[in-house]
Amino acid sequence: MSAPTAAADPTDAYRGYLDCLTDADEYAAIDVALALLDAGVPAERVLLDLVAPAQAEVGERWARNEWSVAQEHAATHISERVVAAVAAHANTRPTGGRVVVACMDGEWHALPPRLVAEVLRLRGWQVTFLGASVPAAHLVSYLHRHDAHAVALACALPMRLPHAHRMIEACRRSDVPVVVGGRGFGTDGRWAAKLGAAWAPSAPAAAELVADERALRRVAPAQLSHLADDEYASLIRRRGELIDSALADLRERVPAARDYTVAQLDATVSDLGHIVDFLAAALYVDDPSLFAEFVEWLVGILSSRGVPAAAADLTLEHYAGVLRDFPRAAYALALGRAETSAAGSRAAR
Amino acid sequence: MTASDVRGFDPGDGRISTPSTTRALARSADASLRPAAALPPLAPDRGGAEPDWSEVVEHFREGLVVCDAAGVVRHVSPVAERLLPEVVPGELLTAAGVPALGDGSPVTFTHRGRQLTARQVPLSGARCCWYVEDVTESASRADALLAERARSAFLAVVGDKLGNPLHPDRAAAAVVRLAVPSLAEVAVLVLAPRAGRARWWRASRCDDETPLVDSGVLPGVDLPAAIADGLTGVEPHAVDWLVEQAVDAGWLPGLSGAESAARVVPLPGRDAPVGVLLVARRNTRWYDEDDVQLIRAFAARAGAALTTALLYRDQAEVADTLQASLLPVEPVEAAGVEWGTAYRPAQAGLRIGGDFYGSHRLADGGSVFFLGDVSGKGVEAAVFTGQLRQCLQALHRLESHPGRLLRLLNDALLETTQAHGQGRFATMVLGVARPHRDGGLTLTMAGGGHLPPLVLRASGEVESVSLRGMLIGVVPDPRVGEVTVRLAPGETCLLYSDGVTEARGGRRGDEQFGPERLVTAVTGCQRMPAPALAERVEQVTCDWLGHGDHDDIAVLALRAVGPSGRAPRHLHSVPEPVGAEQQRETDA
Repeated sequence: MSAPTAAADPTDAYRGYLDCLTDADEYAAIDVALALLDAGVPAERVLLDLVAPAQAEVGERWARNEWSVAQEHAATHISERVVAAVAAHANTRPTGGRVVVACMDGEWHALPPRLVAEVLRLRGWQVTFLGASVPAAHLVSYLHRHDAHAVALACALPMRLPHAHRMIEACRRSDVPVVVGGRGFGTDGRWAAKLGAAWAPSAPAAAELVADERALRRVAPAQLSHLADDEYASLIRRRGELIDSALADLRERVPAARDYTVAQLDATVSDLGHIVDFLAAALYVDDPSLFAEFVEWLVGILSSRGVPAAAADLTLEHYAGVLRDFPRAAYALALGRAETSAAGSRAAR
Repeated sequence: MTASDVRGFDPGDGRISTPSTTRALARSADASLRPAAALPPLAPDRGGAEPDWSEVVEHFREGLVVCDAAGVVRHVSPVAERLLPEVVPGELLTAAGVPALGDGSPVTFTHRGRQLTARQVPLSGARCCWYVEDVTESASRADALLAERARSAFLAVVGDKLGNPLHPDRAAAAVVRLAVPSLAEVAVLVLAPRAGRARWWRASRCDDETPLVDSGVLPGVDLPAAIADGLTGVEPHAVDWLVEQAVDAGWLPGLSGAESAARVVPLPGRDAPVGVLLVARRNTRWYDEDDVQLIRAFAARAGAALTTALLYRDQAEVADTLQASLLPVEPVEAAGVEWGTAYRPAQAGLRIGGDFYGSHRLADGGSVFFLGDVSGKGVEAAVFTGQLRQCLQALHRLESHPGRLLRLLNDALLETTQAHGQGRFATMVLGVARPHRDGGLTLTMAGGGHLPPLVLRASGEVESVSLRGMLIGVVPDPRVGEVTVRLAPGETCLLYSDGVTEARGGRRGDEQFGPERLVTAVTGCQRMPAPALAERVEQVTCDWLGHGDHDDIAVLALRAVGPSGRAPRHLHSVPEPVGAEQQRETDA
């Protein structure tokens, strides 16, 4: 492993820092970050130009099947320790109001909102970070107890959007303005607009929005009139039944699936469930491209693990058959199947 | 339409004359100008005598003005005569000086203080007829209805928005924000002073929909007299000097004293008013009686919301203090041990539950650690965990052998529960960790009917530690299981509550997570730092649950990291991904 050398720039330090994450060497990683601070690099840049891109790379390595889940968790933990060390080093005195930062219920990607929390703290806000997967009830009772100037909510996976919406509404009812962020709202934040929430593409943008309370309150209302067709609600009601039938279908058509171990079976059931959840989220915000993007991502994950796109297509085909009476779901599934067939023909070439 | 129908429409103001008095008048005015052919053909009346159509028409709510081809007025019905006295038969209609009766398109206009509508209908022979109606009453009724609807809608929004913020500052900000622009251009809320200081919130109207809100604190003695009066529950009626006072105090940005109207209303509280609301706007919209009623209705709702919020604050302060004493305390730093914890109570809003963990340092450099679960849920269970932790805090100073300590705890709890007649009990693992020079740990653990700990070996193997024993707090002198485990540097011991293994989820949401899945979830995690491992167990459990209900979840992980606190890195053998299916977790 490479010894951390004192680099004066986050981009120069990046390689060495990534090596520290690879080796799960918490102390060396902290040394790299603190050396940058000592060299006069602003704390915000260390967080956004060193920790954030390294964490994105960690996610990529998991997606490419180069790293196990355990390695990814360990690296994330180290990044969190680095963030804590940088924050402690900067030790900014709060001058602004209180801002509450939290992950949506069921959302475990705590590092990106943690970075937002620290950037806000560096800019003088009094920040409370509630952590990963915060239940809505907990958040609301916190807001009732402590006056908050704003709430920043993070969502990394679009399949959590329906829950995200409930949480945004809960904050609204407490009369606290909300800013949301994270890949879960789409790369351009278009699903945040559907849910009627102010969206920030980055930590600095979130800090600017939080500083402008009137802009936070000046958001267009949610556009969810399409929910009246009941497709979303029906899909959620039939979730268990859909997974069961998809599993039966898989066992019938893929003989190997009959001999799955408990762990394999759990993983398969969880995947089948994710497909339903992403489809439901696409119906919730009425955007079939949400589902198509998910299928594209899923095919990438599967192919890096040696599973052909056709395997995913089997399930999409099954769902399309069962859900033929759901026009919006059927259209999203068709877009998804276009992704699997495109990936299949890419693989064939 | 018949004459009786027309009378049915009579607004009752007596302006439409009764037939007996109008008949003669009508005939005298236009007997020659009523050719039957000019009127639209009507179905013959079956049987009865031919009605006198002219007489019937006279009683229409609409007045009639008939002009000939040259625009000369030939007939004016009594209703039209009253509404438009300028229109005289035999003269040009244009000469009457009613410009609205110009080009023939339907118009609504105000004439002699009445609101009229007029429409022109062409008749045969290039003649035309104007139908003129007095709509003053119906228009004002419609206006009143719209105003009333707007007031109801406003109060509905107010009720909706004010019911939810339970934080007093939020509620106060919401009150002033809601008052603008419906009630005021500037709204100031002053809360009843506490300790001689009065907090205020102000919303001022801006160019767009969102008002600008600011707030501050004033010494109680500096409040304008009208505000101070309001705080005693008196609604000041001398409105003129109120504006002057508020403007002088600099409270009304953008409004001047001469051209503004203002009102002050107290917000009803539990006994005295909880605060006072000052509303002000340009006197182009004076506050009339309806407006004042609306402000009072708003004040009643705002007062209720603020009272609730203040009550909640007082209660929550007590609850928070008690909760804080019942939350698990993070393990104290100990040489050679890296702790990892996770805690997720069943009732998310409550933050406390029946699971507990913790640690205490021993004088000899070791640490006592424990994790357990008391019977029951919620506040009562949490209170029992508090008693249990306090017992342990005292007892570990007398006894550091885990088995004997657990028996002492059992006796103490038995006494407490019998004294209170609670019949509560606990399951727990209690251990002592002693560090070695090589960076390893010796764990001596005693079991009181709790789930077996897991040990993550450096080899990647996951061992379940056999540890039996009876429930704690049920019988005197219970059977307590004891076991000693040696952790090499980098190895981890994991304690967890049944909220993990009994989590119900899966396809149908009714399958238990079970110990096997837990072992699978932590397999391959031997190089993880203890906090990351604890969080992983929490995450995998919550993912399994979906968004279903769950029991309290608690996890405590201890990792042997050596005296420097650094886990040796060479032990991190990273296993190859086992198989594609096992790695397919969507938690990138």
